[in-house]
Amino acid sequence: MRRILLPLLLGVIFLTLQTTLLASLPIQRIRPDIILILTLYLGLFYSPISGGILALFMGFFMDLFSGNSFGLYTLSRPLIFYVAQFFKGRFYLENFSSQFLFVFIFGLVEGLVLLILLSVLNPRPLGHLYPLFFTLLLPQSFFTGLIAPILFFLIRKISLYCSISIRHK
Amino acid sequence: MRIRGLFLFRRYSLPTFIIVLLLSTLILMSLRVKQRKGVEFFDALLMEFCAPFQRGSTFVIKTIQGVFHEYLFLVHLQKENVMLRQKVADLQKESHQLKEMALANERLQKLLQFREKIAPSVVAAEVVGQDPSSWFKSVTIDKGERDKVTKGMAVISPEGVVGQILKIAPHYSTVLLITDYNSAIDSIVQRTRAKAIVEGKGENRCQLKYLLRTEEVMVGDIVVTSGLSGNFPKGLMVGEVRKVDKKGHGVFQYAELVPSVDLTRLEEVLVITQSSLPVQEEKEKKAKKTSLKTERKR
Repeated sequence: MRRILLPLLLGVIFLTLQTTLLASLPIQRIRPDIILILTLYLGLFYSPISGGILALFMGFFMDLFSGNSFGLYTLSRPLIFYVAQFFKGRFYLENFSSQFLFVFIFGLVEGLVLLILLSVLNPRPLGHLYPLFFTLLLPQSFFTGLIAPILFFLIRKISLYCSISIRHK
Repeated sequence: MRIRGLFLFRRYSLPTFIIVLLLSTLILMSLRVKQRKGVEFFDALLMEFCAPFQRGSTFVIKTIQGVFHEYLFLVHLQKENVMLRQKVADLQKESHQLKEMALANERLQKLLQFREKIAPSVVAAEVVGQDPSSWFKSVTIDKGERDKVTKGMAVISPEGVVGQILKIAPHYSTVLLITDYNSAIDSIVQRTRAKAIVEGKGENRCQLKYLLRTEEVMVGDIVVTSGLSGNFPKGLMVGEVRKVDKKGHGVFQYAELVPSVDLTRLEEVLVITQSSLPVQEEKEKKAKKTSLKTERKR
């Protein structure tokens, strides 16, 4: 239960930061998606059941404050989580560059998934959204990847600290 | 058979769970599209839980930004004289507070004047959060169902159109901005009265759709609401035309416009909770309708 509550709380905090602090950055294109980083962290360190439910909640939170009415993130985030689970034992993900690449690629993959879902679900053609892949998604995924190792480290530290303090009690 | 079935379930319990989870997300999506009340209730519940965090965070960010802009940078520059620095800092702090108050006053006065001019029943709201994703364009405001805000209501600011209400919770709601690709507003070009639909383009830009090729539209033309879409009053500024392209084939031409409102720096907005028509005009319309009915009866 505690193992679920901490990432859920972190999710709410990350969502708050993403919708307020990071949204106030002067350049919108470099705004990193920190909830995606949390979802990928869950993919690497959590079990498929508890992590899957948490990833669904992360997506649900994103959809709540997002302008999309379909609830695309509720689908994309668990999908991303399970793909990350699939790759978790197959790559060495302990250094900066591997973590950066891992998150960067997943950021791009999620963008593609969203674009495909949008073009499938929307009755109107969305041709003007495709250039956003290069102008918006590429820089955003790059910066998300850049801060991912720091956040991975922080989340791991917080989890460790919480588990130690609980054991002491 | 039953035992064998259970064995199979245990063996494939994880794949089954994953399939059920992903299927449930698809069902959730379909429920959202159909706008079922259960999902809306759950959305509102979670929104009510998360939005106060956003509100608090926005307040903290604004305060820190204010301190950095008006106080800390100056402190850094005046190290040589402690006394003078203290005095300057105090004065700066005071002046910042006064400036902030004056700016807020000016903004609110403008909002109030605009509110009196535009419609009798509008609700002023504060922006507490932005869209968490980069694909969609929306903001969260601190007014909801309890303040008589409902889905589809027009959201404006003194500079022009902001968007419309997309989701509502008891105390908060999400506004779909006009730059979102899902947004569409019936409008006219002020100079030529040419009709078109303003659609969002994603990155602080909109495009004019279904603008006939025969219409003469120039860069710098102002686009205003037509009043036909119901929620928006007529004549509200939407934006300024920045690009016109007639090169392609077809019946329509392409025009791009920049919104009149800086949607990245929104702080306060107005939600039109009732029809935008002036009260007198509405009364006249009602009177006309009743007289027509009585004539028909005769």
